[in-house]
Amino acid sequence: MAADLLYEIGIEEIPADMVLPALEQLEQALGQGLSRLRLEHGEITTYGTPRRLAIVVEGVDERQDDRVEEVKGPPAQAAFDGDGNATQAALGFAQSRGVEVSELEVRSTDKGEFVFAQVSQPGKAAAEVLPGLLREATEGLTFRKTMRWGDLDLRFARPIRWLVALLAGEVLDLEVAGVHAGRVTRGHRIIGSSAPEISSPDEYLSLLETNGVIADHRRRGEVIVAQAAELAAAQGHRLRINPDVLAEVNFLVECPLCIMGSFSPDYLKLPEEVVVTVLQGHQKALAVEDEAGNLVPNFIAVTNADPAAAETVREGWERVIVPRLDDARFYYEHDMRKPLRTRREELRDVTFLANLGSLYDKTQRLVEVVGWLAEHIADIPEQDAQIARQAAELAKCDQVTMMVSDGKLGEALQGIIGGYYACASGEPEEVAQAIAEQFRPQQPGDLIPVSPGGRLLSLADKIDQLVACFRLGKIPKGSADPYALRRQAAGIIEITVQSGYRFSLSGLIGRALQLLPQPEGAEGVLAVPEVAQRLKDFFGERLQAVWEQRGIDYDIGRAVLSTVWDDIADATARAELLAELRKSQPEVFNELVTAAERPARITRPAQIPEMAEVEATLFEHSTERQLADEFAAARQEIDVLLSGEAPDYGQAAEVMRGLLPTVHQYFEDVMVMVEDDVLRHNRLALLRSLDQLFLRLADFLEIVPSGE
Amino acid sequence: MNFQELIKTLDEYWADQGCHISQPYDVEVGAGTMTPDTFLRALGPEPWRVAYVQPSRRPTDGRYGENPYRMQRYFQYQVIMKPSPDDIQDVYLGSLVALGINLSQHDIRFVEDDWEAPTLAAAGVGWEVWLDGMEITQFTYFQQVGGLPCQPVPVELTYGPERLAMYVQGVDDYRALDWSDQIKYGEIRYEEERQFSSYNFDTADTEMLWQLFGMYEHETHACLEADLPLAAYDYVLKCSHAFNLLDARRALSVTERGAMILRIRKMACQVAERYVARREELGFPLLADPGAD
Repeated sequence: MAADLLYEIGIEEIPADMVLPALEQLEQALGQGLSRLRLEHGEITTYGTPRRLAIVVEGVDERQDDRVEEVKGPPAQAAFDGDGNATQAALGFAQSRGVEVSELEVRSTDKGEFVFAQVSQPGKAAAEVLPGLLREATEGLTFRKTMRWGDLDLRFARPIRWLVALLAGEVLDLEVAGVHAGRVTRGHRIIGSSAPEISSPDEYLSLLETNGVIADHRRRGEVIVAQAAELAAAQGHRLRINPDVLAEVNFLVECPLCIMGSFSPDYLKLPEEVVVTVLQGHQKALAVEDEAGNLVPNFIAVTNADPAAAETVREGWERVIVPRLDDARFYYEHDMRKPLRTRREELRDVTFLANLGSLYDKTQRLVEVVGWLAEHIADIPEQDAQIARQAAELAKCDQVTMMVSDGKLGEALQGIIGGYYACASGEPEEVAQAIAEQFRPQQPGDLIPVSPGGRLLSLADKIDQLVACFRLGKIPKGSADPYALRRQAAGIIEITVQSGYRFSLSGLIGRALQLLPQPEGAEGVLAVPEVAQRLKDFFGERLQAVWEQRGIDYDIGRAVLSTVWDDIADATARAELLAELRKSQPEVFNELVTAAERPARITRPAQIPEMAEVEATLFEHSTERQLADEFAAARQEIDVLLSGEAPDYGQAAEVMRGLLPTVHQYFEDVMVMVEDDVLRHNRLALLRSLDQLFLRLADFLEIVPSGE
Repeated sequence: MNFQELIKTLDEYWADQGCHISQPYDVEVGAGTMTPDTFLRALGPEPWRVAYVQPSRRPTDGRYGENPYRMQRYFQYQVIMKPSPDDIQDVYLGSLVALGINLSQHDIRFVEDDWEAPTLAAAGVGWEVWLDGMEITQFTYFQQVGGLPCQPVPVELTYGPERLAMYVQGVDDYRALDWSDQIKYGEIRYEEERQFSSYNFDTADTEMLWQLFGMYEHETHACLEADLPLAAYDYVLKCSHAFNLLDARRALSVTERGAMILRIRKMACQVAERYVARREELGFPLLADPGAD
């Protein structure tokens, strides 16, 4: 017999971004817990709203299977006397396991003969074991931030106020945080009954729906988009979709009611980003645009109200949005009175990171780093370098404007608003664009800066942030990354790879570190060489992560990063080539691996004198000469292929693979590890050169053969 | 409902919930949280239920009386319940109904907004409550106050009575609020906003404020030495107000600003510790059964 399980944790409004991670954890904990409890089950589905985390498991076995367990007892010698009669030891063991002495079996093991009992464990009812699992799963949930309430010690995202735990129609005997589970849930705060009773799990969704709650967040999200799109379309407009805002508002309401409000078109004279940030940032309202993609003076609020209240609610929202737009306009007009450039002096008074000087100092470093990049990356026109240097000087001036000082607006608008102010202050358009783009990309999938000046500035800003934090010992650990350093490193990688910029990473790190002031009086400061090393390792980890997102296997990443690498674009080109080769021409890939493997395996552990040069006169086999000749030709060809700004790793790999037949033949014909030191060293020297040639592409010993 | 009726209604409502109705504290504070009735009483194991209006001074928020929403001195309606009751959200919503707000005609939301006061080494978890998108109440479960963990946990409700009254009366400018049926908010307070904005931003003697800060700080330590944490706390509040005025005068560099916050925080933590020790010496008199804890 199987029954459906419903578990609902009723909570005070949980922050929107915490719901989905909690549901995932619940699903995992119950799935694993049920199999541990030997309870078969059907599909698991989770539902979340601001006030409830719910899970339904279909077809849970009502009873565990009976199980027979073999338990080892005392040694046979101790259990039975010479006449084969049971001793006290055997009697005690049998009794403690609830079996008759006659049922004990003697069997031999590695350690001699022992007594065994077959103990039958009758399966328990699901109703008996589920409460423990549910409590464990609940108390085991982790959140990015937790709290205590009342006089309890338990920590949770928000206070737990009710629990529903039903197996079929029966309430499970469960208590968490002083709350007893029952069958009474809560409806929508305003709409519907306050305490509806659920008779069985299958009516969960429908009962809540009649009480004003769409518990299924997937459906709720669709309802929001459909309502909002319809409201916009009714005006001949369309919704400006922002997935982040939509995901957030979905978990701020239980019963969505979208409402369209309007504001004076005057506010559209503000930069578009400002208007959108005001709407989305604080009020979490959606922006509306016309067919050409221009903002219109409307917004859509996703509310939790009864449709009958729509008109009052709309008026209320307009009365909130308009003063906020007004604040932004006040900031904008106030900020515009002063040319952006004149604010640079004020940056002297703004601390960058404690003990590392002011923001003014930082802009000076940015100018230098941008210069270094322009000098070391090929083909950066002097004009772009000039723009980047000018932009670097002004990059942080917007930090002391009113707009950016306003916490919520500032976070979203920094850089972008600096670009507008620069433009309005008569700075060249390209400089303004570079300033506006300096924080791109913000997250995975974001666009990198479009302008070369923006790219250089963004690289400089990020590497300065990284060296500064690492120097102060603020290195990300586990999930703690308060300065978003992983994102900064990933941003550097994206810009570098997508732009095809070639430069020495350790050179860049070194230059940025050199510019950093001596941190005075700070604790946990790391020495410069250690920072350089750890930052390089950090980039290695980030490269692996970025590559994995691009579908490059972990072992290929390892193979590339195990070689001497110092150029992000170059390392990425090698990793991409190998990944592509493995995917589209697996035989070719395997041949390449095979060709590289044997020389590597034999030479790396071997002792070879430092200066051992290959001496052709010592060759005994024709294959030796043949391999030496082919190697020399291959190396020459590869030197040419890999020189210059656009190394052709594809062709180089082909040349390397071409060595395979001769490498094979060589190991057939030649005994490498001979007694004679001179001969052996000569052979190893040739193979080592070969290994080094392959290492210019990757360390193929890191490759995990498929099927393993 | 005029402004004074609104406050009277809240007083009656929270008195019915077992709160004693206190009166404003007579030292300048930036927020109701800073008054001894909240900051100090949140500490330690003793239960506490109180509600009161607290005038709050935020010199930098002044707009010479001209901004319809912003003032350098305004009111907070403060409710503290320790330990936090299980049905506190419903009880809170009941207070809105008491104010004549028909909940079924509005969009009420609890939107995540955790609160932190660096100068008080205090932090809490909670929401801002939205009425049709407008923030009307800060709702916080205190987790830490004066550097000490709160156990049991107090809940703090801070209403913005001007905002609420503007909503209830349907006006868009604080000056137009009916304080009573006879007189408007602006008629009583506009000139005060104008003068104090001018004083805070343009006139206050920064040299004097620096000196006062130092003297108040000195006195805080003297009071602590004399084992008078309540008196010491008054001087912490005076330091805080002197700091706020210096801030409004833009007399602080960023570094100085951070350093001063740290100095106030340190004093607040010392007072908190000393206050709890003193209550313990008194045997936590408000505990129903002090021995049981």
